Amino acid sequence: MFIHNFKYAFKTLFRNKMLIFWTFAFPIILGTFFNLAFSNIENSEKLDIINIAIIDNEDLKLDENKGIKEAFEQLSDEQNEDRLFYTQYVSEEKAKELLENDEISGYLIIEENKPKTVIKTNGINETILKYVTEQIMQTTKIVEDLATEKITKEIQSGNIKIDYQKIYQDVLDIASQDNVKIKNISNTNLSYTMIEFYTLIAMTCLYGGILGMTSINNSLANMGEVGKRTSVAPISKGKVIISSLLASYITQLIGLAILFAYTIFALKIDYGTNLPLIILLSLTGSLAGLSLGIAVATLVKSNENVKTGILIAVTMFGCFLSGMMGITMKYIVDKNIPIVNKLNPASMITDGFYSLYYYDTFDRYFFNIASLLIFSGILILISVRGLRRQKYDSI
Amino acid sequence: MTVFKTFLKVLNKCKFVIILYTVILLTFGAFNMTTSENSTNFVASKPDVLIINNDENVGVTKNLVEYITNNSNNVDVKNNEDAINDALFYREINYIIYIPQNYRQDILDGKNPEIEIKSTGDYQASYAEMLLSRYINIEVIYAKEIKDEDKLIEKINNTLAEQTEIEITSKLDTDSLSKATFYYNFASYSILAGAIYVICLILSSFNETKIRKRTIISSMNYKKHNRILLISNALLAIALWIFYVIISFIIVGKTMFSIQGVIYIVNSFIFTICALTIAFLIANLVNNKNAINGIVNVIALGSSFLCGAFVPVEWLPASVLKVAHILPTYWYIQTNELMKTIEKFDIESLKPVFINMGVIALFTIIFVIITNIISKRKRKIA
Amino acid sequence: MKNIIEVKNLTKEYRNLKAIDDLSFEVHEGEILGLLGPNGSGKSTTINCILSLLKFSKGSIKILGKEMKPDSYDIKKDLGVIFQEVAVFEELTVYENIDYFCGLYIKDKTTRKKYIKEAIELVGLEEFKKFYPKQLSGGLLRRLNIACGIAHKPKIIFLDEPTVAVDPQSRNSILDGIKKLRDQGATIVYTTHYMEEVEILCDRIIILDKGKVLATGTSDKLKELAKIEEKVTIEINNLQPEQIEKIKQLENVDEVNYNVGNLIITYKKGKNNLGELIEHLKKENIKYNKIYSERPTLNDVFLELTGKELRD
Repeated sequence: MFIHNFKYAFKTLFRNKMLIFWTFAFPIILGTFFNLAFSNIENSEKLDIINIAIIDNEDLKLDENKGIKEAFEQLSDEQNEDRLFYTQYVSEEKAKELLENDEISGYLIIEENKPKTVIKTNGINETILKYVTEQIMQTTKIVEDLATEKITKEIQSGNIKIDYQKIYQDVLDIASQDNVKIKNISNTNLSYTMIEFYTLIAMTCLYGGILGMTSINNSLANMGEVGKRTSVAPISKGKVIISSLLASYITQLIGLAILFAYTIFALKIDYGTNLPLIILLSLTGSLAGLSLGIAVATLVKSNENVKTGILIAVTMFGCFLSGMMGITMKYIVDKNIPIVNKLNPASMITDGFYSLYYYDTFDRYFFNIASLLIFSGILILISVRGLRRQKYDSI
Repeated sequence: MTVFKTFLKVLNKCKFVIILYTVILLTFGAFNMTTSENSTNFVASKPDVLIINNDENVGVTKNLVEYITNNSNNVDVKNNEDAINDALFYREINYIIYIPQNYRQDILDGKNPEIEIKSTGDYQASYAEMLLSRYINIEVIYAKEIKDEDKLIEKINNTLAEQTEIEITSKLDTDSLSKATFYYNFASYSILAGAIYVICLILSSFNETKIRKRTIISSMNYKKHNRILLISNALLAIALWIFYVIISFIIVGKTMFSIQGVIYIVNSFIFTICALTIAFLIANLVNNKNAINGIVNVIALGSSFLCGAFVPVEWLPASVLKVAHILPTYWYIQTNELMKTIEKFDIESLKPVFINMGVIALFTIIFVIITNIISKRKRKIA
Repeated sequence: MKNIIEVKNLTKEYRNLKAIDDLSFEVHEGEILGLLGPNGSGKSTTINCILSLLKFSKGSIKILGKEMKPDSYDIKKDLGVIFQEVAVFEELTVYENIDYFCGLYIKDKTTRKKYIKEAIELVGLEEFKKFYPKQLSGGLLRRLNIACGIAHKPKIIFLDEPTVAVDPQSRNSILDGIKKLRDQGATIVYTTHYMEEVEILCDRIIILDKGKVLATGTSDKLKELAKIEEKVTIEINNLQPEQIEKIKQLENVDEVNYNVGNLIITYKKGKNNLGELIEHLKKENIKYNKIYSERPTLNDVFLELTGKELRD
């Protein structure tokens, strides 16, 4: 009889169009949206060529400013692999107009042998222009300093025949070396997009609660007519509830598996390599969703639509707090009111996946697993009283 | 009046949803205010850097530390792996510099020791790395020739002092405008989702077959009944819009008292009306309350993601943006984005704004026409 | 005569209201017992208490000699219930619904298949086996409701107002089906507020009101409780007061009412009242159009017992 009920619980769930949509189709649709929206983020950090202008005034033509002029010419050279700029040489008036119309990010004007940078706002392009200009100025200074230094040394060591050309060249060589040895030992990149997909998994786990809720509604006498019939039949309530919930749980897991398959193979999302722990997290996450559904079903005294609405609303809000509509939210909550995300099941799941992906140790991961289990446990405990009741005051 | 009263009663049952979406918007908007690291608005602000100095804080090492410290925000973090990883994760720091042991001596000996770093990889971190690279480069070059430590330090600092004069022409408070844009962009989700969900729920109660039949045969003119419903819904949508606008004043502040502010408000009003018509269209197509739930989330979330309400427009791939043109949300957001950059407000610069609004109006009209066609058909079959 | 069900001193209170007040009755084996009473009299509540779905404050309930509890599975397997509201799965077909509920009682697949077929035939749903509840009309849905409740051939069947809002064809089919079930050996408890059904169907009737038993007995016995034996209605124009007085003097006459051309005479007892009346009218030369005689209905009984109509 357990299997009989189990089989039919499955049938009823799979034929319920609404349930199937929420647990199977919606996550995949949303995942596709995510993918479309995020696919370019990693790329966009690559820099485009910046439009600038240099004022073609008298000062520019002076010898003192040859360094700057040549440097910029090189950086604007089409043939140059590391080209940074597209440079126009125009009058000041024209430059102002170009800047006004956002056709350039900024322009350079050399006044009194010093370059001045005129920009509109303080964005990334403008900062690069500033940086490059300063770089050129500083390199010039280095060259002057070192050249002076070398020449002074030569004179001091009694050398009359000073090969200025060579000194200059040597110094230039030294100055243009790239001496920066920085080693990035960060753990794998903190990818913006990953967390969004983890919240998607969390959402799917929790939406599975609707399945659990439907099962409960069919099994309890005070939840509807079908429940009454089941209560009068010679099958123990425990068997009915457990077999129905088991069917719900398995359906949840199937939906989750489909989502995983889709995100891994079609969208190429990386969850790390620790398969057993990923599975464990999925199981506990789904359990949390199931217990949420049970709790809402037993504790909320209203019709089915309201219960579904509550479940969806709670889940969405939880996912929102754990970063689904913007990763900033998760950081903000974690920094300012961490207690909220410690109680938020969506956050427990998202964080669990994140710690698998980012950290080497498993402390954080197991903390999340434990939180999920405690969460589920508490909700089920609260619901047990409602579940076990066999005789009612009114139905 | 009865129609309106019933409308209000049904509305009362749905107030939970409206409150939920409003809360989401508020929470996001409010928290957005307290953080200045709005990742799209790169202001060459000081990054948060942690320096782990494994050398003595003397001489060239001290100079390095001072330079970085002067150009960044220093954050205090416990020196253990977990605390550091957490701080990086929570963006409390963007960049960590590990100065190796013996750094000072190595530099003075003319060597170039490798420096290990950890980075969040975002704009702030990139800027920190630019600072570090610049310093190291200058330092190493000079160190090859100059062996006297004090002189070396002096030279390095003098060179670093070579900075270009900056003139910023924009008088815009970009930071504040960015916040306003972000808020109004996000509002498109709340308005769209809220309007569709609430209106559809209410109308589905009125459209239930049995009730519709009663309404049709009642003595009240069917068209009048529809008109009252339309007005009631419009009032609801407008009330929602007013609420969001008021909140924006609280959250964004005085920046709203400007031409940009006016445009934000007008733009969001036009968008709300458009959302209203979308809601009506859907209400006429779908009756099942559960289906409505699904549709709302797909449409609202979908448009929000693809048009730049959650993910900034700058980061969306070009192909997606092309497709997004068919969604009214796209045009709404484009206007908001323009508010961040327009300096002078004249007919010329406002032309794109007017075009955007025009497109939204066009969408509205199309939706209304389609709705009318469908409801006429439905009436005949009913 | 075995007592299949024994209800003794059953009391159920909702806050201060006594939904069932010291109710006692028995159900005999093989009979169809009718629980008759207006809406709110406690019929459904009584059934739910007997089924151990509702808590009650006082009294005892024994089915088949054993006390009835929620986990009395041995008793439950012989029970069949058809509730007032339709209790079926929207997502399963007619066949599947019956299979599911029958399967909670009958484990053996072959037996079950046979039973399902018979149940579908009993209620006349052969053409609709693969239909979903959404596609069935109200009457057909009720037939499905019944099939789900009796497919496992229970010994005791409870029917709670099964014919509310049902078309005449379905209703007859349902009543026939119930009789068939009794003939096959079931004991049936049938609640309703339609007295015509009770008169056709039930062997014994219990009249309930406000949670109390007002009267018990067969249909005839109950009707004897009515003060009146017979009621005669005659259409007479222009009847004069003296003529009315004379009629009042006739033997066995209890009351005479003349209103809007209708003369209504109620008789206390007697067998030949109608004949004597007609003789009298002939003698007095009173012309009449229509004349008919009625035995008291249960409604009359109820009216007398409570001052209310059954169909309130």
